[in-house]
Amino acid sequence: MSEQVEMDELAYSSRMVNWAPLGKLLFVMCLLIVGIVTDSILVPIISFTIGILLMAYSTNLKLPLLIILAIGEAILIMVLGSGMISILGDHSQPAIWEGQFLWFSIYMTEDSFNLAWLIFFRAIAGVTLMLAFASSTPIPLLSYALKGLRIPNEIIELVVLIYRYAFLLLERFLIMIDAAQCRLGYNGSMTAMKSYAGAMAGTFIFSMELAEKSEAALACRNYDGTFPIFRRPANMSVLWVILSFGLAIGLYVFGMYTGDVINPAKLFAPLFGWDL
Amino acid sequence: MATLLEADNITFSYDKKGPKVMDGMSMKIEEGKKTAIMGCNGAGKSTLFSLLNALRKPDSGKVLFRDKPLTYRHKDIIKMRSEVSILFQNPNDMMFKPYVEQDVAFGPENMKLPKEEIEERVQESLFAVGMEEYRKTPIMKLSYGQRKRVTLAGVLAMRPSVIIMDEPTAGLDPQMAYEVMEIAEQMHSSGVTVIMASHDTDLTYSWADELRVLYGGKCMYAGEPEPFYSDFESVQKAGLLLPTVFMMNRTLADLGKGSLEPYPRAQSQMALKTAQHKDVDLGVLHVIKAERDTDIKAIIDDYQLGGMPTGVYGMSARMALRATSTDVDFLYNGPENCTMKCLNGQDSVLICDPLMFDKAVTSAMFINEHGFGKINIDVV
Amino acid sequence: MSEIFRLEDVTFTHPGTTRKVLNKMNLTIEGGSRDAVLGMNGAGKTTLFYTLTGVYKPQEGTVYNHGEPVDYTRAGLQNLRSDVAVILQNPDEQIFCSLVEEDVAFGPLNLGLDRDEVERRVSKALRDVRMTPYARRPLQQLSGGQRKRVAIAGALAMNPKIMIMDEPTAGLDPQASMEVMELAEKLHLQGVTVLISTHDIDIIYKWADTSSILYNGKIEYSGPAEGFYSDPETVYRCGLLTPSIFNMNRDICAIDGMDVDPYPRNCCEFTAKFGNPKESGRLVCVAAEEETAAERYEEVMKDLKGVQTGVYGSDVRYALTDNGIDFRFDAMDMCFTDAVRGKDSVLFYDSIYTPTIKEQADKLRKIGFDVDLEVI
Repeated sequence: MSEQVEMDELAYSSRMVNWAPLGKLLFVMCLLIVGIVTDSILVPIISFTIGILLMAYSTNLKLPLLIILAIGEAILIMVLGSGMISILGDHSQPAIWEGQFLWFSIYMTEDSFNLAWLIFFRAIAGVTLMLAFASSTPIPLLSYALKGLRIPNEIIELVVLIYRYAFLLLERFLIMIDAAQCRLGYNGSMTAMKSYAGAMAGTFIFSMELAEKSEAALACRNYDGTFPIFRRPANMSVLWVILSFGLAIGLYVFGMYTGDVINPAKLFAPLFGWDL
Repeated sequence: MATLLEADNITFSYDKKGPKVMDGMSMKIEEGKKTAIMGCNGAGKSTLFSLLNALRKPDSGKVLFRDKPLTYRHKDIIKMRSEVSILFQNPNDMMFKPYVEQDVAFGPENMKLPKEEIEERVQESLFAVGMEEYRKTPIMKLSYGQRKRVTLAGVLAMRPSVIIMDEPTAGLDPQMAYEVMEIAEQMHSSGVTVIMASHDTDLTYSWADELRVLYGGKCMYAGEPEPFYSDFESVQKAGLLLPTVFMMNRTLADLGKGSLEPYPRAQSQMALKTAQHKDVDLGVLHVIKAERDTDIKAIIDDYQLGGMPTGVYGMSARMALRATSTDVDFLYNGPENCTMKCLNGQDSVLICDPLMFDKAVTSAMFINEHGFGKINIDVV
Repeated sequence: MSEIFRLEDVTFTHPGTTRKVLNKMNLTIEGGSRDAVLGMNGAGKTTLFYTLTGVYKPQEGTVYNHGEPVDYTRAGLQNLRSDVAVILQNPDEQIFCSLVEEDVAFGPLNLGLDRDEVERRVSKALRDVRMTPYARRPLQQLSGGQRKRVAIAGALAMNPKIMIMDEPTAGLDPQASMEVMELAEKLHLQGVTVLISTHDIDIIYKWADTSSILYNGKIEYSGPAEGFYSDPETVYRCGLLTPSIFNMNRDICAIDGMDVDPYPRNCCEFTAKFGNPKESGRLVCVAAEEETAAERYEEVMKDLKGVQTGVYGSDVRYALTDNGIDFRFDAMDMCFTDAVRGKDSVLFYDSIYTPTIKEQADKLRKIGFDVDLEVI
């Protein structure tokens, strides 16, 4: 949960916080899609680079540990995943590496090796771009932006309130954990369990009381059923659309012509002595 | 006096990039003293408490408990926390169990005490806060003030040697605030070191022996309250104001009405210091020192004290009172109420816990000692 | 004075319970007054406030607003609530948006005001509570005291005719409390009816003209505070205390055979009454606006080098942040007390407070002390 808090703080302090949320979303989606529909490995590499650059700009060149860890984690998972893909090649093609590892039979072909790299870069490009978006767009701003997409008011309102209360409840829960510690609530694992349960129950009761009181308070502030928005996040300008689609098309075309420029298997061939 | 708790040049921030909440904080809390900690919003009081209680670990510097640096090993922390208790500002933060008695037993149970001992402590601490008839009540049904008392009982039941009270009177009505203050005094009388953080300048001024003022993550003043309040620039910088009584006393001294010292700290002391006529007959303050089994009715009859305004102060006095089902006029703030009656020329009776006697007659003694008037204190 | 609210035999029970939180309550609230509502926890203060805003509809009795019974239709309530703003004790209960600015705008937007007006009100309200730099910050990053300020700003932005403040100083440090009381005074001078409920008897005694005491769902007393405090038994029964300054005045007067009236309510009045002051110090009161304050300061202080200075009001306080002011908070009382001590001082204040200053000087005159006051 504390990661969410950090993400939230990051989003608010981002240099891109005032960019149009929908614009950012469109931009990221375009890059993601074009990365998937082209076969050139260069396209996801470019997307990944754009993602990293955006993040560097967003955080003013101070990439927080949280983000680095998240990307690191994604890389790690994808290394394993693409590793698997690379060794499960199509047996109708010649193998560049064949062997047995425990009960796995390894059959790596040129295509499977290349495919693995492609998927690896698509995946980390995706993760990086999504993180760049998430770390620069606080949830309330996003939900306000969604209003423009004709999402029903009730849902937006729910998102806004849940978001607000999630923090209040978290705050309360953390204080209660502190209070439990003061009363030796973590002296032994059984006790610790009970203390957590107590803190949960306390937080729950608090949420009930808060909900009850909020109703009256909302009425006092003239709430009439729709949540007003004061400073609407910047609207998505045409520029965003042009930029996003332009870049996507450009990359797509670029991908068509560069599909064969980089062949990872060939690159690595000398290293491993593969005969292609 | 021995130093009980000490912060030695502590720095601390909640996250690495964030501002330093503690920035070279050094302070000592002496054993057996009543220490008030003051400072503006955001001066770092709550953080300091969590550091003193090993809820957080300082980035640099040390916390010492009985002159030994905290090790932050599980066993040591448990031992330390059974001695140092925090009363949180909002009672709802300390409610872990659905029923009153269960919640009060929470601490003692965690200390792995035997059943009988837990039972005894629960009973005693619930009595001390005047909530024993609510033993089996669900906490949900209690009001804010009642919840505050239950949490206080929960802290008392752990029998700590230090209690840290964070804004103990916030949100309480004046009477209940006095009840809480009486319990704090009771604990102090039984040897507990009491630390209190509060924004109420007047309240802390009348209560504290020692003052610690926090500002910008540092301890900017440590010592008796008067020297601090005499330096108005610092007071203002720290986000505080002068206690009303202090400001009046200083102004009157400037006008040549009496000297600056002795400093009156409570309203009755201030009133008598100001009054011109020092020889007017004030009332007699009859103090009955009552143990738990003292027959108060009999004493009141023997000494013909019936019909006078009567106040009660301290736990054993309250127990004795209940045993003989005697009615009193002042169930809270007994000493000040009785003293005030005396100032108006009326005799009054204060039924008082022997341990609390000194506290009960502070104002009367102040008035007598400095010749501001004469309240006869008649100890029964 | 016109009557703003009148409660006639109002009884209210929370649904599902049996206790009458308000029990045949009768109360009249006059327009433009400084009102205090006092009572112990559970006496029904919060319920009363919600009844005044039409959130709770009494089971019996009638609530009159401007002489008309409250109309509980949607339009009627909208109308009533655009006049009445409430600040709750716990800010978290009344803050609904995640961004400071959004939340302050919440009320005005619900009123259906146009954007420019909302913009103006939000920026003014945030400035009044000193939260302008935090406009785009999320609430969860703010401290308790800052959240309180946001809640106050949210109420100010409604431009209410009646402002109800439930424990406005709870949880605030002494200086911040003083600022809130200054704000309450300012609203009062702007013609807003201000209703404050608090446990801080000493602070409210200095400020309020009338006190209404709640006990067991009824109004036990309504009128000038002294009338209530003179009856200690009732005070005690209602779970309250007498202000310390009231007690001291009573005791000293009893011993020295003086008249308890006029009642001193703050430090300067107390010391003027009992200190036998001789010559008044010179008190120069300089009315200023935010834009002109710095200029006025230079101009006035040229001839008054080394004299103690104070500021009263948030506009002047901002404007003179860097000017080495001696009394930055509670300055009115400090400066008048200095005059009693025979010391000279200069008080810079937001010009709206002129009547408050005159009132203070009049009060001292009644006590028998003429302040050497010069308002420029």
